[in-house]
Amino acid sequence: MTNAPLIDLVDTTKKYDDGPPALAGVTLSVVPGDCVAILGHSGSGKSTLLNLIAGLDRPSSGTVTVNGTRVDRLGEAGSAKYRRESIGMVFQFFNLLDDLTVLDNVMVPAQLAGMGKGEAKRRAVELLGSLGIERHAKAYPQRLSGGQRQRVAVARALMNKPALLLADEPTGALDSSSAADVRQLLLDLNSEGQTILLVTHDVQLAASTARRTIELVDGAVERDVVNSDRGAGLAAYSSLTRPAGAVE
Amino acid sequence: MSALGKVVRSGVGRRRVQSLVMALTTFAAVTSSVLSLGLLTVVQAPFEHAFSARNGAHLAVQFDGSKVTAARAAATAHASGVTEAGGPYPIAAALDTTVGTDCPKKAWAGHDNGPITVTTRPDLGSTSGMDQLALTRGRWPTGPGEIALPWQHYAIDCFGSSVVFSSLPGKPSFKVVGFADSVTNSATAFATADGFARLTAAGAKSDKQMLYRFAKAGTNADIATDKRAVAAAAPPGTVEAGQSYLTAEWQVTGNAKAYVPFLVAFGIFGLILSVLIISIVVSGAVSAGIRRIGILKSLGFTPSQVVRAYTAQAMIPATLGVVLGTVFGNLLAVPILDEATKQLGAASATIPLWVSAVVALGTLLVVGVTASIPALRAGRMPAVQALLAGRVPKAGRGRTAQRLASRLPLPRAMSLGLAQPFAKPGRAVLVGAAVLLGAVTLTFAVGLEVGFSKYLQATTSGFNHAPAYVIPTADVGKPWGLYGPNDPRHQYLDAPKVAAALAKTPGTKAAFGWGDSGATMVGAPTGGETPKVFTVSGDFSWTNLELLSGRWYSAPGEAVVGDKLATTVGIHVGDDVTVMQRNKRTSLKVVGIEFDTNLGDYTVMTDADTFSAAGLTPRIDQFNVELASNVKGSDWSTSAAAALTPLNASVQPSSGGNNLVVITMGALVATLTLMLIAVAALGVLNTVVQETRERVHDLGIFKALGMTPKQTIAMVLTSVTFTGLIAGLIGVPIGVAVEKATLTPMGNAIGRHLPPSVTHTYTAGLLLPLLAGGIVIALLGALLPAIWAARSRTATALRTE
Repeated sequence: MTNAPLIDLVDTTKKYDDGPPALAGVTLSVVPGDCVAILGHSGSGKSTLLNLIAGLDRPSSGTVTVNGTRVDRLGEAGSAKYRRESIGMVFQFFNLLDDLTVLDNVMVPAQLAGMGKGEAKRRAVELLGSLGIERHAKAYPQRLSGGQRQRVAVARALMNKPALLLADEPTGALDSSSAADVRQLLLDLNSEGQTILLVTHDVQLAASTARRTIELVDGAVERDVVNSDRGAGLAAYSSLTRPAGAVE
Repeated sequence: MSALGKVVRSGVGRRRVQSLVMALTTFAAVTSSVLSLGLLTVVQAPFEHAFSARNGAHLAVQFDGSKVTAARAAATAHASGVTEAGGPYPIAAALDTTVGTDCPKKAWAGHDNGPITVTTRPDLGSTSGMDQLALTRGRWPTGPGEIALPWQHYAIDCFGSSVVFSSLPGKPSFKVVGFADSVTNSATAFATADGFARLTAAGAKSDKQMLYRFAKAGTNADIATDKRAVAAAAPPGTVEAGQSYLTAEWQVTGNAKAYVPFLVAFGIFGLILSVLIISIVVSGAVSAGIRRIGILKSLGFTPSQVVRAYTAQAMIPATLGVVLGTVFGNLLAVPILDEATKQLGAASATIPLWVSAVVALGTLLVVGVTASIPALRAGRMPAVQALLAGRVPKAGRGRTAQRLASRLPLPRAMSLGLAQPFAKPGRAVLVGAAVLLGAVTLTFAVGLEVGFSKYLQATTSGFNHAPAYVIPTADVGKPWGLYGPNDPRHQYLDAPKVAAALAKTPGTKAAFGWGDSGATMVGAPTGGETPKVFTVSGDFSWTNLELLSGRWYSAPGEAVVGDKLATTVGIHVGDDVTVMQRNKRTSLKVVGIEFDTNLGDYTVMTDADTFSAAGLTPRIDQFNVELASNVKGSDWSTSAAAALTPLNASVQPSSGGNNLVVITMGALVATLTLMLIAVAALGVLNTVVQETRERVHDLGIFKALGMTPKQTIAMVLTSVTFTGLIAGLIGVPIGVAVEKATLTPMGNAIGRHLPPSVTHTYTAGLLLPLLAGGIVIALLGALLPAIWAARSRTATALRTE
């Protein structure tokens, strides 16, 4: 792990129309190999922060630098290249393509990046194997359980060996057993050196998976806590504990 | 505004592109339909009205006055099939005339007035009996020095002046006191009995004309049968000519009728396209607004209100298109109908109100029914189902296509797009249908335009095509045809001397001389354009003049006739025709039928030597010269000028002319085609927009995975390429078939048998790009949605469920 930040936001603000800012002067940095959870209530700015880091949106002011790239300055084509080369994304509702097989879903990012079909297939099979779902390679996503689908999504996110894995409520649509399965998967990936940024309202997920937890309130960083022992920081965020099933 | 009105207004406002498409397509359909149906009904009306009111003759037959008595001619009234007969009346055919020098318009005074056919009847202004003559200006002749003519056969500005029978000894002159005509064109001048006697006294040959109506006379074949029956009832060889009312009708209505076949085709295309586009738009509006429909219903909208709301969203723009199309169709008809009605001296006709009403209301009915089908679906949908719609994940379709496409050696974005149509085959069919109609229209229109172009080429080729011309020096700088062939001011060339001079000029490859002899053909149609007999000197085989049947003349006494004259009169290869020049006649054997739209409507061509041998005067007023390939035109002109100047001949550069009717048709075809193709492309656009909206979430996923804007555009465009290709492959043969079914009737309407050189429009070089036309239309239609898709905000798209 080096000290140069992989993610570096400086005084980043995002405003939509005339309302209050969704993000208000956020400054934060994430070093490579870290696993950071962004926690917050609905409307706290979690998704906005994720979108800015993913290059899906641009800040109104401030800078967003990821892996040495000024993401806030990228055009559409540049953003696409950045996403395919530097980040992988995992979504709450998986966002798999229903009419493609598991294998084809996983291969898509590499093929869009210009990787040859043979090489893409080899890498996808390898990933599916390492995630324990290689036997579903020819199945369609709708045949799989939620946990299996999220594993496919993770495999797809890792296809281009991204420097940063962004996970947006990765357990939000899963039952408790599948959620635990995905939590473990993320822990394993981070242990292998994969930098992960989690956006979640799930305190348990944050506490058990992240080395560091940042709580957003009204678009600003309210707390930034390092979890020296994953799972120990749970009590500090008890105010965020909500009834099961609540989603942003 | 009521709640329903607000829903309709907001629906139209939100779908501006779709509303524009619906307005455009109905506009194109209604314009074509009003014009075609209007022309069909109106063009015929003035002639039919005149024919009925004036008890027109189906056939006017001219008997040789030297071979048949009046009683014998009258006896033909009992021929088979005759239901009514009139005559015999004295008739003197094809007498050359000039405008009298007493005409106050000096430009016309003494001008060649062409040949006219004079008759007389006991009561010229009779309002009973057959073929009642109609006076459109002035009065009937009352004395031996007066005459009445159709306005087309005399200079209007000289009305009240004289007409001189220039080929008759003594050049008898008559004062034009009236403009009058026969609806059957049985004659082109009307005199009193003593006036007619002045002509015969001066040497005009008096024949006998009988007028007939028959039990069966609906077609040219019927008339030909009737004419044979009459001829059989008369002494053999006594029938000199027969003028059919169908020829007269065609002369009046032909040009306008030529518009009808392709306008009908465009009207049908437009209507089908309207139905298709409205189905696409309203179905799309219903599909895209299912949740909205659920909300409306949950707010208390009844099913009937929902149906009305969605039907009205199509009816508003369609009504706008219908109104504009009706007005435009009526306006376009004005110049076309003007020509037809002017021929009969009738007041300018307009399209009847009922035509506009039927087309407008019919189109609105079709639009209403088309729109109400998907609207009914929306109306019947339970509110809960509508509210849930769109939230239920769609079943995966087109998986096999995706699997197969992924195996193709294509960039992934393209293979993803290629399989997309199979996920929603119904929508692909709609895209395909829009492209198909566009491809059919494009193929049909390109074929027509090429046909028109070839027709125009034919008018500027033949005798009108040469690198250089030689004309009388006196005619240099003067309009072509300023003086008629019998006008004393008309200059001619000394053909043998000019031919010899040209032969000696270095660089002359070939040359022939030709000119309107001023003769006419006995039995040629009496109405319409004046028949022309051309005398030709030299070899013209290097020109593009085309022979439809038979061969070119090669021996003395042989001739070739134009296809229009052959069709109108019923001349076939092997028949004899009689030509007359300054009251001298000679018989020519027809050995071929030629196609040339430049020389005139009714033409006979023969060798100058044939005329000379028969005692007639060949007239040559132009030489067409072909130059050797290594000769510069200007050098040749310089050396030719030296040899030609002493012969009062000069070199004239190449020139050509165009046909206004064909140019107008071309412009109309181009306009309607552009409109329909734009509508077809907009139909594709609308469908792809709908598809893109529904797939916006998938697009968001792709973009989140790193799909670039270019890859997004490539994916969307590829999604319509296969459909466009298939639609093009099906559409081109249909378009070719429609063109084949249209061009020939159009030619027939103007009295032409179009040769293969004109009708063979689709070459391989043309068909290949046309086959790609479907893809082009599809890509044009999908381009904007593709760009929109590329620009869509990924974050928003990902939130869309």
